[in-house]
Amino acid sequence: MSTDRKKDWKKIARANGLAIPDAALERIAQSLDALEAGFRPLARALPPETEPALAFHAALRAETAAVVEDAE
Amino acid sequence: MTLLEAAAALRRREISSVELTAAALERIERLNPSTNAMQTVMAEVARERAKLADQELARGEGRGPLHGIPIAVKDLFRTQGVRTTGGSRLFEDYVPDYDATVVEWLRAGGAVLVAKSGMHELAYGITSSNPHFGAIRNPWDRDRIPGGSSGGSGAAVAAGMVFMAMGSDTGGSIRIPAAFCGVVGLKPTYGRVSRYGAMPLAFTLDHMGPLTRSVRDAAAVLNVIAGYDARDETSSRRPVENYVPDPDPSIRGLRIGLPENFYCERLDPDVDAAVRAAFRAAESRGAEIVSLRVPDIEAINTVARIILLAEASALLEPHLEHRDLFGADVLALLDQGRLLPATDYINAQRLRRGMQREFAALWPRVDCLFTPTTPITAPRIGETTVAAGSENEDVRLAATRLVRAINALGLPAVSIPCGADRRGLPIGLQIVGKPFAEALILRVAQALVPAEVPVPPL
Repeated sequence: MSTDRKKDWKKIARANGLAIPDAALERIAQSLDALEAGFRPLARALPPETEPALAFHAALRAETAAVVEDAE
Repeated sequence: MTLLEAAAALRRREISSVELTAAALERIERLNPSTNAMQTVMAEVARERAKLADQELARGEGRGPLHGIPIAVKDLFRTQGVRTTGGSRLFEDYVPDYDATVVEWLRAGGAVLVAKSGMHELAYGITSSNPHFGAIRNPWDRDRIPGGSSGGSGAAVAAGMVFMAMGSDTGGSIRIPAAFCGVVGLKPTYGRVSRYGAMPLAFTLDHMGPLTRSVRDAAAVLNVIAGYDARDETSSRRPVENYVPDPDPSIRGLRIGLPENFYCERLDPDVDAAVRAAFRAAESRGAEIVSLRVPDIEAINTVARIILLAEASALLEPHLEHRDLFGADVLALLDQGRLLPATDYINAQRLRRGMQREFAALWPRVDCLFTPTTPITAPRIGETTVAAGSENEDVRLAATRLVRAINALGLPAVSIPCGADRRGLPIGLQIVGKPFAEALILRVAQALVPAEVPVPPL
C-alpha cells in the first residue's frame, strides 16, 4: 500500500520560480497525479546498478568516424 | 498508382515527372481546401525540379526509384529557403538555410518536393487540430481527425496528393495517422534514419519515417533515407539493406507473436475483429502464431511519457514566456514537463534500459509481433474522450496507448491498413520487429496488404 502524499503542484511551481498560472496548474494536476501514481512505484523498484539509457561520447562522433564503433 | 508503379512508368517514358508533378499540384489545389493537409505548397520550385528530373532521365542519368516522383515532407523537416513552421506560431516565419538530412537525401535521390505537410503544433499531440493553421481533416470523413502529429502527411497520402509524405514519430505520430487515414506508416529503428535537421520534440524518442499507399513504396523510401549520418549523434553505422520485399513474399514458417495481455484489452470491437482476421490471414499463409505475454507495456508507456514531458519542456522552455503563442493542449503538456524533477527523468531513462532488456527476451521466441495500431478508429474533430472497449478514455492517451512504448524501446514498427470499422473508417495493424528488422516487418506487411491500399472517394 502506498503511503505517498499527493504532491502540491502549486507549491512546486512557486518553489521553482515557474510562472504557471493557478488555473493552468489546476487543469494539469490530475494528469500529473496519475502519472506520479504510475511512475513512483517503478522508480522505487529500480536496482541501483541500472544505468540510464543515455550515451555520452567524450569525442565528437563526427570527428572520430573512423574509429568509433556502434555499441549495437 | 503507387510510387514504384509511377517510377516504372517514368523509366518507360510513358509519363513525365512534369506530368506527375502537375497532377499532384492539381490534386492539392482541389483537395487542400477541404482537408488542409498541406501547410506550404512549392508549386514553382516543384515544376522546375520536375523539368530537371525529366532532362536527367532522358540523358539516362537515373537516380533511383524516387527520381521525378512528387513527394511532401512534414513541416518540421528543415528545407533550405522554404518556411518550416513546426506547426507553431513560434516558427511561422522561420526559413532555414539548410536541408534536414532526410530532405537532402530525398532530393539527392531525385524526389520532387511539392509541399510541406501540416501537423499537430510542435508535433506534440495526435489530433492535428492545429490552433494556428487550422484543423487537418481526415479524407475518409472530413469531420474526423487524421491522427497526428503527422496528420497532414497521412491525409495527403490517403487523398492521393502525393505518393509519399515524410513524418516523424515520438509517441506514435507516424503510425497513428497511418491507421486513421488507411495508409502505410513506417517507424524505423531508432538510429536507422537521421534526425538531423528535423525540429526535435524529444531527442531520445524521435524517429523519422515515410507514409505511403503501399508497403513496397515505404520500403523504397527507406532505401533512400536509411544510413549513417555523422550529424546525428545517435545515427547507426549498421549497413543498410535492400528493404523492398518481393511483391508476393513468403512468410511461411515465420513466428508471429500474439500478445495475450495489454494489446488485446479495451479495444473497439471492430478493431479487435480486424486484427484477429489479420492473424488468421498470416496463419493461412504459413506463418506460425505464437501466443505470449508481453512485458508491462503500461509501465513502459509511463516511462515514455516522463521522458517525453521532460525532454520537450527542456527544449521549449526558452519560449514559454510567450504563453499566448501556444495552443492550450501543448501548453498543458509543457507545463507538466516543467514540474517533473530531474531525478524522475534520469530514473525514467534507467527504467527504460531495464525494459529494453525485458522486451528483448521475446525475440528468441518470435520474429515479430502483431498488435492493433490504435484501439479506436478516427475520432471526430473536437472530441476529447472516446469509448475504447467498455470505457471512456482521453483521446490522446487512447490513440497512443498501443504505440508509445515502441518509441521508448526504439523498435521498428509499421502500421498497415487491415480493414474498416462499421462506419467505413480504416483500422491499422501494427507489426513490431526486433531492432533493425525493418526488412522482415516490411516483408510480413507486404504479404498481408493489397498492392495499393484503398483510396477514399473524393
